[in-house]
Amino acid sequence: MIIKGLTWLVVLQLLGSVINLSLLPALPGPIIGMVLLFGVLLLRRGIPEPLEKTAALLLQYLPLLLIVPAAGIMTSSDALLADLPAIGAGLVLSLMVTVPFCGWLMQYLIRRTERRKERQL
Amino acid sequence: MNRLEWRDVWAMTLEHPLFSVALTLIAFQLALALYRRSGWLVLQPVMIGMLLVVGTLYLCGIDYANYREGASMIAVLVGPATVALAVPLYRHIKRIRQLFWPILITLVSGGVLGVVLTLVIASALGADLSVLMSLSPKAATMPIAMLVAEQIGGLASLAAVFVMLTGVIGTALGPWLLGWAGVDHPAARGLSYGINAHAIGTARALEESDECGAFAALGMSLLGILIALFLPLIMG
Repeated sequence: MIIKGLTWLVVLQLLGSVINLSLLPALPGPIIGMVLLFGVLLLRRGIPEPLEKTAALLLQYLPLLLIVPAAGIMTSSDALLADLPAIGAGLVLSLMVTVPFCGWLMQYLIRRTERRKERQL
Repeated sequence: MNRLEWRDVWAMTLEHPLFSVALTLIAFQLALALYRRSGWLVLQPVMIGMLLVVGTLYLCGIDYANYREGASMIAVLVGPATVALAVPLYRHIKRIRQLFWPILITLVSGGVLGVVLTLVIASALGADLSVLMSLSPKAATMPIAMLVAEQIGGLASLAAVFVMLTGVIGTALGPWLLGWAGVDHPAARGLSYGINAHAIGTARALEESDECGAFAALGMSLLGILIALFLPLIMG
């Protein structure tokens, strides 16, 4: 089961990297693979069971997989420390604006859609 | 065995290809146990696991390239896991169809605003170009942000740290900022958590309600795909 699902994912990633190398150098292979898989799921109108199981397993252990590339920070910690005030200010100030903005906009748009539907009834 | 031989055994253990794998697995188990016991969002397993790995590598005098080579059998699965992100995205298709325009408008304007504000503030304060390129995909989930950062000339590991910082700060400030803006609709609160604080915000949204959690997961998946598709095209 798990292997069947993994085969899907690996083949789609490979296909993605073929497309990346031949047609679309701007997009990373795994991302093209993800879009391809989304297209396959739309066409099939459902998630095959082996794929669902493998995806759940891999995504559950994603933090484990990501420790390896994240540890690369030991080679670039100078860049992080040198720009720490700029990074901190950029992150915190932009969040102070976008968190309330996204919430407010979505709420406004939902209420507007609901009002329109009521008028149509 | 005398002392000299013990030293050889120790050196050979450090060179064994499974040493990096064992180190990563143990660091992850410890980090996960700490996260579950404490319940603190700040103690993200990736962050703590990474610190444990980096600390051990420093103590044992191993450089990152050697560790990475040994641990490649773990890291190679990041690619298939990224492809697998299409599965949770597909699960939200019904909700997306119901509220297509509100979701799309909020995602695009919120996503663009977030990237632009972060870059303008950080560059005004003098951050390096490679740091800026690693900052720009910070609102996406980690595997996507790392790939995109590398694609546009940033560093994957820096992007990983920024993604974690964004998630933790966004989740810590989120409830207060949303309350201040008078946002009480669970779908709107959830979408904002997902757009601004990805997986960490989604965990917090699930504590509020199921609907809030579902929209957070949806916002996270969709914004991830938007960033993955458009940021490399615009920055490249």
